[in-house]
Amino acid sequence: MKKMKSSLFHGMAPAIYMGVAVQLWFTTSVFADREVPMEIEIIQNNTFVVSGQVTSSVDGLGIPAVNILIKGTYTGTISDSEGSYTIELPMGNETLVFSSIGYLTQEVQVKGNTRLNVVLQEDTQNLDEFVVVGYGEQKKENLTAAISNITSKEIQTTTHSSLAQKLQGKVAGLQIRQNSGAPGDFNTMINIRGFGSPLYVIDGIARDGASEFQRLNPEDIESISVLKDASAAIYGLNAANGVIIVTTKRGSKGETTFQYNGVLGIQSPTNVPEMANAAQWMEMRNDADINIGKSPYLSQEELQKYQGGLPGYESTQWYDETMKKWAIQQQHSISAQGGNESVTYFTSIGYLKEEGLLKSNDINYEKYDFRTNLTAKLTDNLVADLNIMGRYDKRSTPGENFFNIFRGAISSLPSHAPYANGNPSYPGLVTDGQSVNPIALSDRELTGYSEEENKFFQSSVALTYEFPFLKNLKVKGLASFDNNHYMGKSLFKSYKLYTYDETGDRYIPTELRKPSTIHNNNADNNRSTLQAHLLYNTSLNDRHNIGTTLVYEQRRGWGRSSALSREYQFFTNDQIDQAGTNNMRNSGMESEYASISYLGRLTYDYVGKYLLEVAARYDGSYRYHPDKRWGLFPVISGGWRISEEDFFRNNIRFVTNLKFRGSYGLVGQDAGNPFQYIPGFSTSGGGGYEFVNGNYLTGAASPAIVNPNLTWFESNIKDIGVELGLFRGKFNLEFDVYQRDRTGLLAYRNVTLPNTFGGTLPEENLNSDRVRGIEFSVSHNNNIGDFQYNIEGNFNFGRTMNVYVERGPFVNSMDKWRSGAANRWSDVVWGYDLEGQFRNEEEVVFAPIQNGELGNTRELPGDFKYRDANGDGVIDGNDNVPLFWGGNPKMHYGLTLSASWKGFDMNALLQGSGNYSVRFTHAYATLFWAEGNHPAYFYDRWHKADPYNPDSEWVPGKWPASRLVQDMGSMYAESSAWRKDASYVRLKSLELGYTLPPAVLGHIGLKNVRVYANGHNLFTVTDPYVKAFDPEKIEGQLNTGWVYPLTMSYNLGLNVRF
Amino acid sequence: MKVTRNIFMWVSLLALWSCENVLDLKPLDKLDSETLFSDPEGVKLYLANLYYQTPIEDFTYFFNGFNINTGDPNNSGIAPAIQTDEAIGSEFAGLSPWGSGDFAWWDQGYKLIRDVNLLIEAVPTLNISDNEKKVLLGEGSFIRSFAYFALAKRYGGVPLITSPQEYGGDVEALKVPRSTEKETWDFILQEADVAIENLPESFAGGERRATKWAAYALKSRAALHAASLAKFWDKSPLSGTAVDQKLVGLDASEADRYYLACIEASEAIMDSKRFNLYQSSPASPQEAAENYRRLFEDPNKALEEVIFIKGYALPGTGTGHNYDIWYNPNQTSNGWPHPGRMNPTLELVDSYESYSNPGESSPIVTTLDGMVGDDNGFDRNKSYKRFSVENPYQLFEDKDARLWGTVILPGTTWKDKRIIIQGGYVLPDGSAKIETKESVTHNGMTYHTYGAPDWTQYSGFDTHAGNMTRTGFGFKKFLQLDDNVTPSWNQSTTDWIAFRYAEILLNHAEAVLESNYTADDARSKAEKSLNSIRRRAAHTVDIPLTLDNVLRERKIELAFENKRYWDLVRRREYHLLFNNATKHALVPLLDLRVEPAQYIFVRREVSRGTPLTFPPQYYYKPIPGIGSNGLVQNPQY
Repeated sequence: MKKMKSSLFHGMAPAIYMGVAVQLWFTTSVFADREVPMEIEIIQNNTFVVSGQVTSSVDGLGIPAVNILIKGTYTGTISDSEGSYTIELPMGNETLVFSSIGYLTQEVQVKGNTRLNVVLQEDTQNLDEFVVVGYGEQKKENLTAAISNITSKEIQTTTHSSLAQKLQGKVAGLQIRQNSGAPGDFNTMINIRGFGSPLYVIDGIARDGASEFQRLNPEDIESISVLKDASAAIYGLNAANGVIIVTTKRGSKGETTFQYNGVLGIQSPTNVPEMANAAQWMEMRNDADINIGKSPYLSQEELQKYQGGLPGYESTQWYDETMKKWAIQQQHSISAQGGNESVTYFTSIGYLKEEGLLKSNDINYEKYDFRTNLTAKLTDNLVADLNIMGRYDKRSTPGENFFNIFRGAISSLPSHAPYANGNPSYPGLVTDGQSVNPIALSDRELTGYSEEENKFFQSSVALTYEFPFLKNLKVKGLASFDNNHYMGKSLFKSYKLYTYDETGDRYIPTELRKPSTIHNNNADNNRSTLQAHLLYNTSLNDRHNIGTTLVYEQRRGWGRSSALSREYQFFTNDQIDQAGTNNMRNSGMESEYASISYLGRLTYDYVGKYLLEVAARYDGSYRYHPDKRWGLFPVISGGWRISEEDFFRNNIRFVTNLKFRGSYGLVGQDAGNPFQYIPGFSTSGGGGYEFVNGNYLTGAASPAIVNPNLTWFESNIKDIGVELGLFRGKFNLEFDVYQRDRTGLLAYRNVTLPNTFGGTLPEENLNSDRVRGIEFSVSHNNNIGDFQYNIEGNFNFGRTMNVYVERGPFVNSMDKWRSGAANRWSDVVWGYDLEGQFRNEEEVVFAPIQNGELGNTRELPGDFKYRDANGDGVIDGNDNVPLFWGGNPKMHYGLTLSASWKGFDMNALLQGSGNYSVRFTHAYATLFWAEGNHPAYFYDRWHKADPYNPDSEWVPGKWPASRLVQDMGSMYAESSAWRKDASYVRLKSLELGYTLPPAVLGHIGLKNVRVYANGHNLFTVTDPYVKAFDPEKIEGQLNTGWVYPLTMSYNLGLNVRF
Repeated sequence: MKVTRNIFMWVSLLALWSCENVLDLKPLDKLDSETLFSDPEGVKLYLANLYYQTPIEDFTYFFNGFNINTGDPNNSGIAPAIQTDEAIGSEFAGLSPWGSGDFAWWDQGYKLIRDVNLLIEAVPTLNISDNEKKVLLGEGSFIRSFAYFALAKRYGGVPLITSPQEYGGDVEALKVPRSTEKETWDFILQEADVAIENLPESFAGGERRATKWAAYALKSRAALHAASLAKFWDKSPLSGTAVDQKLVGLDASEADRYYLACIEASEAIMDSKRFNLYQSSPASPQEAAENYRRLFEDPNKALEEVIFIKGYALPGTGTGHNYDIWYNPNQTSNGWPHPGRMNPTLELVDSYESYSNPGESSPIVTTLDGMVGDDNGFDRNKSYKRFSVENPYQLFEDKDARLWGTVILPGTTWKDKRIIIQGGYVLPDGSAKIETKESVTHNGMTYHTYGAPDWTQYSGFDTHAGNMTRTGFGFKKFLQLDDNVTPSWNQSTTDWIAFRYAEILLNHAEAVLESNYTADDARSKAEKSLNSIRRRAAHTVDIPLTLDNVLRERKIELAFENKRYWDLVRRREYHLLFNNATKHALVPLLDLRVEPAQYIFVRREVSRGTPLTFPPQYYYKPIPGIGSNGLVQNPQY
């Protein structure tokens, strides 16, 4: 035991005494630097020429386009088609560096030779790239499953506070959509192949939760693997939507290397629609009365005052008054890694700060984190891995949610002023379109605040023992404990808004949102995981390679939350004890979960040609009836590397890799609430009663009918893929088709109990659906001399179909056509087929009736005209046809272009999504919604040439003639007038970097310095109507589109290694 | 040594693994029946949910159902009164826009019935005293009677399910046909009798549980309803299968039997001498108005009149109600954005008696010629009665105290604020600006059409946010005067009087008159009751017992207690009253033709109103889900 202790101590030493190490290292490197420049000076004028041929170790043939550089410079040449080269270089003890993709880089000392033939070894490291899979890792070439992998370097080419944003467009089949741009929001949609929310595994532990994943410090990440097919079955229950596996960095032997990364940037909204100004709004409001035959809303003189912007008739641009043009973001991280024979380590600290776009500066997000991953060789056969991660983040917003603030910025009338009598001490009482003065709402001093703090602690310890008597037999034990503590605090202050009374020179206050309240919410969640692994790899006759993995896993989770709130009679301090004691409230709940799993995997390959993998997981979950809680989730997959066959290899030499693979397996996903098998009275869901005055008794609800058979739903996932590599990895293609069939989706059985029964049936596993899709990625990389480039494109198209939908019999075939869901694609929206706009009053009169009982009495020239699909002269529900894809993109693609030349590098990412639509409600898609403002685009409308002369001509416009909502005909029905295809392609990121030449670095004592500039969401091509809202952003609450704008950003970054 | 160490290590690791039934977790939010029912306090927990579901048409009863007080119960505040001639909503016109699905109650009804049946079935098995069992049985019958009453008055005859059904996979076995309407009403009364039989006269500690008296009161109300249906069927007869099978409709010959049941139940309460009218002899109309207002502001101070209360305690989602936020006038909204939704009509205000003319409705006279019934709005050639700016409510001075306790009149003070309700002005040249926002300067003074420059400073007629009365009257009954209820959802905790003595007296009087019942000196008893209610409202002159007098008194006394809707239904008056009918407003105008300016009042149709018609099939609501329950649908659906 003594020895173990001491080596542990050694392991910690570098991390603890990092400071000492820094000093030591500085001394040595400065000393070394002094010598090199002296030598260069002496020999710089004497040159000589070296020539030779570069050949391959595989076939002895010459390798074209080998990059040959004089070490420490960017001077060099490339080999010709035969592999021959000639280079002029300074006299002396020189070294040439030979590099080519697919081969190991080789340094050769010239030693005065003028003829130098070099044999490059095949880069087996590169081909033998290892990919992290569930409970282990595998050679990429031996993979039989659809697994994508992305490494740190590729992740880091995009700057964003959310890790998900840094992945978007880069991984085939990983569907990502940024829902909102709010700092610290982390609600980006992440979805593998259209399956649903995936399972997240971080460093071998299921740490579910997309927001946890998105918060990871990207500097800590070594690689991310995405299990896209049935290979997810190794994770059993809750892996039916695929698995995202994150592996963080570990240290490697060698002297300590420090790395600093810093980015500073500004963010501004991609697009926000311009709202109507006062003159526009008044003109349209005036139209709204005139168009229905009422007298004008305003006299001509009044209207002219608005049009002229006379004093007292100015226009307020509420958005500009509320929001900034841009906000600052910054990220810094510093890490150290290194180690010796017995201990290696990686340790980092990170900081991120993101400001919001409110002018009040009251939206902010900050994050701090640290991570230490330590590997210690305790004895010859025993290795310990210790991972510790901590994070603190805090998000603050004003005491009114952004939705309401933004609603104010959109809906407040431009004819109203932000302040009463223009006096900034008195925010004006503006309540248009069901909103409240957004400037007041966004002010923390006025309305209070909400703050959310999260503290994360994640840890794991693993011991791996390699049996001395049987090579490649290992046993590993792992224990992990994670904790997340959430603290939310909100202060909602009542606030006063003012109107100005000119006669009395008084400001008349109206107090809103009384009384002030304060809320504290706490939640503490814990997760523990225990794993025992048994691993054995062996090779029989050097031909049969066998790998086995057996794992036992046990997971438990428990949590408790509480919420407190009080009201103020009079606001004193933002402390809960300082608030009043009336209406004190508190609530809380606890939860727990547990699962046990046994899993095994067998991999087999025959000389790397024929690949087979069989795995299964036997999962038990606490959620279900004891007889129904255990399930087996198997997967089988196989591959044939045809390129390894002699007949192939000897004939088709440019094909370096050709693999066909297929997988099939079963995965489960939890369904419904836990404990549905236990009948019982419940204190939630029942109403309460006041038996004694002032004393409320919460009642107990009667037991529901239980379903002891309720279980998870099952996913059958099939995948067939082909992988093709040409010219030693210069060109790669991967293509997959996949299908997932889910059965046992929850539904209520359609026996439709008579509604006199008084109870409802429980949920049962009845429905089924199917996702089908294709996916491919293509890449090409090459170098032309110093110029290296890489092009990588990926594409995914997947749709979901309802297969079985429990429901009652159809009344008739029409009913089946309209209401049927089975065997149809889901997410399809029905609407009227828009034929155009009525061009004149005659057209309105002779058109089919499209506004029900009111006929076409409310329709005017310029109004939308729909197709009478069934030709019955009436446009009603029966004329709806399936016209649109709904709100979820079905197609995702990305194209990465990267290149480097000498010290310069460039990376561009184009990303796009398609086959979906958006439809807004409220102000963005309604004129005068709740008599508030609307976007300026509606100004391009049908209107009378002279509003004060009802007999004047109609002037055509893009939008219908202005009317209040209640006076409109059927303009707002679902049609392509409002539901727009949101397909887009955008320049997601563009980065330019420059790495200082090593020679220069020598002088300043740094190993590597790279500066870069990049931008995010720089440019978007999409439907012009949608563009104003950003096509990627979701419609959000009430489909209003009042979501925090997505942002574009411009950043400067610095990357230093020393 | 090394081997020992390794073994030791792995053993200690395995110790960590020991998985003592990791998966056997228990739900943290469920109770089993033994635990719940083995203790009277546990039983009370179950009863709480039953009473909660009991269809009491209280503060949380709106067009979209009962208990509309969870989450954000935004239903525009459309209480039953808005669907009658009592009031109109400030935003919507009522009736037709909402259709026949309003105030429906079916699925929740049968859920309650299932829940009650579970209790009634469990009672004999419980380990409690016989007396406790008797009480539980009584409460179960009371709630079941209440539930079937609520079903019968909406749907006529319904399936009578008296024990909890078991589902064993055969849906057909669960189908129960409709009983006739007569059988249904008889069952309701019979259940009430079981309740009367078993319930105690009171509960220790004043618990708001059903007592014998509450059960009598329920029977009095239900029997009167059934009797009226039988008597007035012919006023609006329907036809169809449901009628042929007597699933809806009662024979006229049944009327007297039901009236008698009402009379007997009412008399049981009257003869018990346990109840009285609250503050039965006020000294002045002002005092009477205040007494009447207080009765509803806090019924706990008037327990002599209250037979059964549904209480509200905790404010908050699912517990409080929204009367104070929906119905306060705009000026006392206390920061709530949607006040002023209930606007009492001129029709209601007209029906109140004046003290100088007892026994008659006393419509508001606005002109000097004393003509009644000119509802055509402002006419510059007419001579209007003028009232000072300070005291426009002089117009109502002689009216019944209960008007003052029920309605906020223009210019009166409410919550220390003068409630400004003004619909426009008459310019010195005799032209009028009505219900349009404008101001004018005259003789150096600025006048505003709505009485003040800013929408926060007045409560009438502006269309702003739908917060202003459009009848000229604000709503007062039930609102808290002194407490400023927090301006957010579900913050009011006013208790609701589910049955009160005055209703019983009025039920009794109506039943006596309608059935010509003369036994036991019933007529003089009824006449005494009628006048005692009026005396409580500071009337000093007795009026004779006539049907008109009783029905007017009922309309006035029980205004906004959600009785009017059913009174119009059971007496088959809805379709007569609402036959292309509009509701009316009394618009105060500031008359600038005189110096200083004075108020005049103008009678007219409410603006933005739609003529309303009650289609006779609405007397029964359509039965939902007939496709699966196999029931015969009601006529004309």
